[in-house]
Amino acid sequence: MAEPTFEASPELVIGVTTAVVSFLVISILLGFLGRRKAKSFEHWLVGHGDIGPLITGFALVASYLSGWAMFGNAGLGYAYGWSGSWLIGTVNLMGIALCLVLGYRMRRYVKLGARTVPEMLRVRFESKLAQAVAALAMIILLIVYSVGQFKAMATVWAVTTNTSFYWSLLLTAIFVLLYIGVGGYAGTQWVSCFQGILLTVVGWTLGIIAVFWAGGFSQIADAIRTETFVAPGGTQTSIPLSGYTLPLPPPQGLAFPGVDWIGVGGSMLMFLLMATGFPHNIARFLGSRKITKKEYWMMLAIVALGSFTAMWIGTVGFAARAVWGNRLMLDQYKPMYGDSAAIFVSIDSGGVVLASLFAAAVFAASVATLGGMAMIMATNITRDFVHNVRPQTSPKILLWLTRLTLIPFIAIPLWWTFTSPPPILSEFVAGSAVAQAGIFFFVVGVSMYWKRATKWGAIATVFYGLILTLLHPNAYGKSIGLYHWGYWAFAMMLGSALVYFAVSFATKPLSKEKLEKLFPQGSQQPT
Amino acid sequence: MKTLLKTVLIFALVLMFLLVPVVAFLLKDWYAYWGMGFLALLFGIVLIYLKTRYYWEED
Repeated sequence: MAEPTFEASPELVIGVTTAVVSFLVISILLGFLGRRKAKSFEHWLVGHGDIGPLITGFALVASYLSGWAMFGNAGLGYAYGWSGSWLIGTVNLMGIALCLVLGYRMRRYVKLGARTVPEMLRVRFESKLAQAVAALAMIILLIVYSVGQFKAMATVWAVTTNTSFYWSLLLTAIFVLLYIGVGGYAGTQWVSCFQGILLTVVGWTLGIIAVFWAGGFSQIADAIRTETFVAPGGTQTSIPLSGYTLPLPPPQGLAFPGVDWIGVGGSMLMFLLMATGFPHNIARFLGSRKITKKEYWMMLAIVALGSFTAMWIGTVGFAARAVWGNRLMLDQYKPMYGDSAAIFVSIDSGGVVLASLFAAAVFAASVATLGGMAMIMATNITRDFVHNVRPQTSPKILLWLTRLTLIPFIAIPLWWTFTSPPPILSEFVAGSAVAQAGIFFFVVGVSMYWKRATKWGAIATVFYGLILTLLHPNAYGKSIGLYHWGYWAFAMMLGSALVYFAVSFATKPLSKEKLEKLFPQGSQQPT
Repeated sequence: MKTLLKTVLIFALVLMFLLVPVVAFLLKDWYAYWGMGFLALLFGIVLIYLKTRYYWEED
């Protein structure tokens, strides 16, 4: 097997810097235009409610495809072979399509005064407590998810410019702060569309080129058949990478979702629920206009293109493993390990041009997700806590407070990544994804459609989900013997469902008159 | 007839989801990888068809 020979040439440094800076400048300009159009704090949050299917579709792709999909997927394919496919998200289109179907009803709550996802819960349950509890859970889970975005951007910057990983982290944080500070929802919706197009085109291109670079599909499959699992740091095993499950030794190995078919089932359920459960995803519908049936099909086509982008990036990881064997799992590639596969392949297979475009695409994916999440977290504070407690606070103060609050929500995950970067980023952020899927699919997604849901059902689900989050096999789960990711994921998602439905049935829903306002007769027309 | 078709399509959605690990187990390598993506695409098409045909919402 060859070694990834690579040097950060001046051409590459200039190419990557130009691509990333150009991407950021275009994004910031679009964000600035969006901000200028926003006449009030509310406009800044949800735009003008006039966003069409093209923009909404690509914005959804951009917020869904994070550093996990656009970058980490190659690390999964590289480190785990075919069993990495479960976290690569071969079935992610199922979940995004479900989000398209369910998320559209957010518009109804915008008309009733909701401007954030937790506010939708306040309107749905007439409960400020439900709003505040959901906002708190979002902040906790989104901080964890943000860590992966920082690692993706910093790895790309570090590898291509020969800057240290830690300086790269700091630089990317400044980029993100600048970008979000001038953006806002109206801006980021347009920016996200631009980013969605960019990362779709680059992801497909890199994936296809990588297959040819590695000698074709069959050569990659043949090579993976001969590979065995190597843990980050270089510990060799005799466990083959050729299967769709990877029986890693217990107890630590059980924390990998692809370890057996129970883990596989858990990861499939996660992908089915998480697109709707991600607050930064479903929030994309807050600014959307009325969509026709034809336009719905257009949105499906767009998100299908996006979901296959994630699979192409996974393909890059398989190609890298076929060509370089297990080299990237050795200590000399710490702390990036297999996560660096995609950027090395882009350099080796497509030179400066492809590497620069890929760097910009990774920034696009990470920044779009991070931007959406930071906005959610900041507005959780201003809109869902401050405005909740002190409704007379002026919109101007809320707007500035939101901008200021962005700083800690960028700094906290930055510090986390700085002090303990996760070895395989996708595996790490999947923990937060399961929690968001388990909690918010029901609390937000199902509550928009199920009249019998109650605020106590929603609140109990949030608390249950947060407790289960602490019991992740790589957190405190092992202290009670919970080592298996699959069992944990099922306990999280099915347990959340059980708590949500059981507590809702046991408590009193809103009055019939109030529910009629939220679920008007004839609004849904079965034909 | 319409109700029957709707029921069949909902059943098909469940079947497509359950078929994913079966495909991975039986087909292996790239056939399984892209096969799962294909099943997800079919799932999306059926779901949007159900939404636009049977569960369309007017404002």
